[in-house]
Amino acid sequence: MMIEFTLNGQTVESAAKANTRLLDVLRHEFPLTGVKCGCKEGECGACSVILDGKLVNSCMIALGFVAGGNITTIEGYRETERFAVLDKAYAAVSAVQCGFCIPGMILASECILAKNPNPSEGEIRDGISGNLCRCTGYNAIVEAIHIAAREGKGLW
Amino acid sequence: MEKISQSTKKKDHEEKISGRALYVDDHVMEDMLHGRLLRSVKAKARLVDIILPDLPSGYFVVDKNDVTGVNRVHIVLDDTPVYAEDTVEYVGEPILMVVGPEMKEVERILNAIVVVYEEQEPILDMRAAETVFFHYNYAKGDIETAFKEADRVFVETFQTGYQEQAYLETQGIIAYPHNGRMTVRGSMQCPYYVHGAIAKALGCKNQDVQVVQDVTGGGFGGKEAFPSILACQVAVAAQKANKPVKVIFERREDMEFTSKRHPSISTYKVAVKSGEITAMDIEVLFNSGAYTTLSPVVLQRGLICASGVYRIENLRVTGRAVKTNTVPTGAYRGFGAPQTFFAVEMMMDHIATALGVDSLELKERCMVKQGDATSTSGKYHFHVPLPEMVARIDQLADYRAKRKNYQHQTGRYRKGIGLSIFFHGCGFTGSGERDIIKAVAKLRKNADDTVEVLASNTDIGQGLKTTFCKIVADTLGIPYEQVLIENPDTDRVPDSGPTVASRSLMTVGGLLQRAAVRLKQEWKSGEVQVIEERFVEPDFVIPFNLKEFRGDAYPTYSWSVNAIEVEVDILTATTKILGAWGIFDVGVPIDLNIIQGQMQGGLLQGIGYASMEQMDYNDQGIIRNNSFSDYIIPTAVDVPHLVTEILNNPYTHGPYGAKGAGELPLVGAAPAYVEAVENALSVSIHKIPFTPEDTMRVLQEANQ
Amino acid sequence: MVNGYLAETLQEALAIRARENVVPYSGGTDLMIEPDEEATYLFIHKIPELKTINEDPEYLRIGAACTFTELLEDARVPGILKDAVAQIAAPAIRNLGTVGGNICNGSPKADSALILFATDAKLRLASTRGERTIPISEFYLGRKKTALQPDELLIEILMSNTGLSNYYYKKVGARNALAISRVSFAGILQVEGGKIINCMTAFGAISDVIIRHKEIDALLVGKTLDEAKTVKKVYLGAYDQAIAPIKGRISAEYRKTVCMNLLRDFLETNGI
Repeated sequence: MMIEFTLNGQTVESAAKANTRLLDVLRHEFPLTGVKCGCKEGECGACSVILDGKLVNSCMIALGFVAGGNITTIEGYRETERFAVLDKAYAAVSAVQCGFCIPGMILASECILAKNPNPSEGEIRDGISGNLCRCTGYNAIVEAIHIAAREGKGLW
Repeated sequence: MEKISQSTKKKDHEEKISGRALYVDDHVMEDMLHGRLLRSVKAKARLVDIILPDLPSGYFVVDKNDVTGVNRVHIVLDDTPVYAEDTVEYVGEPILMVVGPEMKEVERILNAIVVVYEEQEPILDMRAAETVFFHYNYAKGDIETAFKEADRVFVETFQTGYQEQAYLETQGIIAYPHNGRMTVRGSMQCPYYVHGAIAKALGCKNQDVQVVQDVTGGGFGGKEAFPSILACQVAVAAQKANKPVKVIFERREDMEFTSKRHPSISTYKVAVKSGEITAMDIEVLFNSGAYTTLSPVVLQRGLICASGVYRIENLRVTGRAVKTNTVPTGAYRGFGAPQTFFAVEMMMDHIATALGVDSLELKERCMVKQGDATSTSGKYHFHVPLPEMVARIDQLADYRAKRKNYQHQTGRYRKGIGLSIFFHGCGFTGSGERDIIKAVAKLRKNADDTVEVLASNTDIGQGLKTTFCKIVADTLGIPYEQVLIENPDTDRVPDSGPTVASRSLMTVGGLLQRAAVRLKQEWKSGEVQVIEERFVEPDFVIPFNLKEFRGDAYPTYSWSVNAIEVEVDILTATTKILGAWGIFDVGVPIDLNIIQGQMQGGLLQGIGYASMEQMDYNDQGIIRNNSFSDYIIPTAVDVPHLVTEILNNPYTHGPYGAKGAGELPLVGAAPAYVEAVENALSVSIHKIPFTPEDTMRVLQEANQ
Repeated sequence: MVNGYLAETLQEALAIRARENVVPYSGGTDLMIEPDEEATYLFIHKIPELKTINEDPEYLRIGAACTFTELLEDARVPGILKDAVAQIAAPAIRNLGTVGGNICNGSPKADSALILFATDAKLRLASTRGERTIPISEFYLGRKKTALQPDELLIEILMSNTGLSNYYYKKVGARNALAISRVSFAGILQVEGGKIINCMTAFGAISDVIIRHKEIDALLVGKTLDEAKTVKKVYLGAYDQAIAPIKGRISAEYRKTVCMNLLRDFLETNGI
């Protein structure tokens, strides 16, 4: 009856009901608190994770949906070389303020660069358009992704 | 750029970017219970009866009878009950809390509770209010004569709506009793406000309360006073259950029931003689909601800003904050100033139009300069850089040329540009800093020669940990890494006041700089040393008399000019923002990246306030825009061209020349935006938010 | 799994659907806004037949569980549908949400459904009892009410392969991303040999269901653009009568005016 999936590179299983929110399973069962809960309605992006290579809102997913799937959260992503580039780029422009949107924003950044290693400003803004940030006005985050694209040659 | 302005990696960068930072909801304690509030569903009613179901073991209902101290939350006037007593005064007022080990069961119990209300007629409209919580007025010059001698008199009324802080992390508190003490931790701006409130509600000694700020996901004023209310409720629950209790608000609960910006109605009567403004008679009305919370101080700032950046010799300002049966309003970045700055900037614009001159031309003629009197007969002691800011914004945005070109357009898409000029008074209004806060800050040098900053001010994203440490490190001449700062814990840090009013860096940063100067002089390698500094009012300040609203309301001011360019689609009445430019004087930036981040974020919040952030209650007093899909804030694609610049204008009495920064960028966006829409459509506008529905209405009126 | 079935084939899914009281779960983005804790979900997002897009001489056949992102990435999907889908929410939601889910949720605000209405798309429904293909207009019975039977699944959407290139689409939301439609309009005008051979329009987010008035659009069919101008007033007048937005957060007056403005602009940009 267990639901099995890959989480940050490890095969894991959960006994939770298939209709449980993935967000709750990640935060409470595993407990991956880098996955933030901002609204539970798919409207803020704080709970973003990467599922099978695509950015998704973990609050909008029932656990059963990810059976056999491959999930990366900030806890897994932060161990990668790509993260190191984004980390440095975000630091260089002080793009992190309150930080609550940031784990989701970093994973959105990864998905933008994975799709196009040299994204235009429009592509960057569209790529983070589901991740609300109330602090920065978004400029620094957009700039950080530009920097990462420049500095991360070959990684994406 | 000054050396101190060069950007540094933020102290909190690492833990936040890696997802390791623990916010209050990330903490789990052994035996922890979860709580949820039962709230009034009536705007005004007497509580006749509350019928509880049988409670399973381990579950508690917590209400007014469990408050061991005073059932009032200490804020300013202390009228907010911790839990409702005999009446409820707004939809959402907390009546009781259910706590227990499983949230699902807590929710089941909540749903099974029956509250019997005896409904009373609520007052929802602030114009119909009967209770005036606060009433201030001040005047200078000879207003009667000015109006008598005027060539023309203009009277207009302006309205502003709610604005919700919409921080990404909702409100949350954990309280746990241990060894006869109560520890409260959570998302907050002001640990000592929470500390004082808990001691009063629990009726315990100050030393029996400990408050710790967790990493806080944004505040913008919304976590100034509100956490005191929630913390009292949670602490009372934890005391009763004798276990840790955690309460985290759902987004809808947070949006609907926590404090937000005061809606306002301001009426301006202005006398003009020979093309010059000779007098203003201003009446301001703020909707305080059901309790007073921070309304007196919000209203004070609003009134002091009511005549804008203009030299008005004859001035009368009257303001009231009134009670309605709606959610209590409170602090939000700008704190009363965005409301009156919107009104005065639009008034100036409309008078200019009536006089046949461009709005900027009229504004430039009346702008204050160094040495001029303030609205409250204080003095602008320092250089007022408005002329160079106007020149720069004109260069950046091509304001004057566009403004002219955009008159009288036809066609589906119509462009417009608007401009606003404004200030933000730095720090507390009046003598609050000197008489009430009396800030204390400390530096502790450890035996290993690291230096720790001990202050109660919180980093809520604005970068205070970084800027505090930069000041201390640079003053001491030691590496930035050698200066440490933790989240405030009232057991360890002195009361250096709240994190509000754009004061933390200017005031407390100043104390830390002084402490660092002394520590440098007294430095003994390998020894533990503690240096303490206390606030002293700068000697140039003309003492402020609150009764008469006379004197220096603020020691100094931060200045700004904004321009916003829009394009209105007249078929859909939607407005696209083509560009937003802001130039800001916040003294010397202690960190340029941080200041730019503050300016950009604040400007975008201001644009949201003006254009899309709409929140209203219905005829039952229920707020319906209570989710991120109904209360719309800007995304990354809404204002792609947002440009901010910093003008370096050192403040002699701030640390490294810094003055207040955080609130300024929100204050003037709304009038710039609305002026732009007016420019595009050749109409007169009197309200924000100015939504597509409003635009459609003016388009249809223009057609008729 | 508890409270869920993960179907791997269509046959398996239909068998479960016939046997049990399950909620079909495609992308989940509508279901999870207010999840029903008692619900048992039938996960259909891994069924190959529902994940493919095929073309035949008459139709583009879109598997119901194709996500919005998948539609955007497929060269065969017509521009009018891509324009609408590209404006749905934001990437993370488009990566989950599916066209079938958008339809079956039964909302008049569904942005992809508007296009399918405007283009007279057909829906292929299946159950263990057999299959049926119906026009999308017959699928919507009222607000959140559809013709989907308790044992059925929507498996495919059939869009015409031709005649969709000259289109007009406008979504009016509250902002540029993460916006729920306040009004949406789609129109298609096919002109051949100087004559209008087809006119199809639809209005979203103004009523319990998406509005599509074939009988009014027929006023223009068979006419030259000049002839169409002579019935423009009648045409617009008929829509003015027919469109009565229901009350909502956004006033009916505003939405009505926008509908009429866009409809008129659709004609005028086509030279009518």
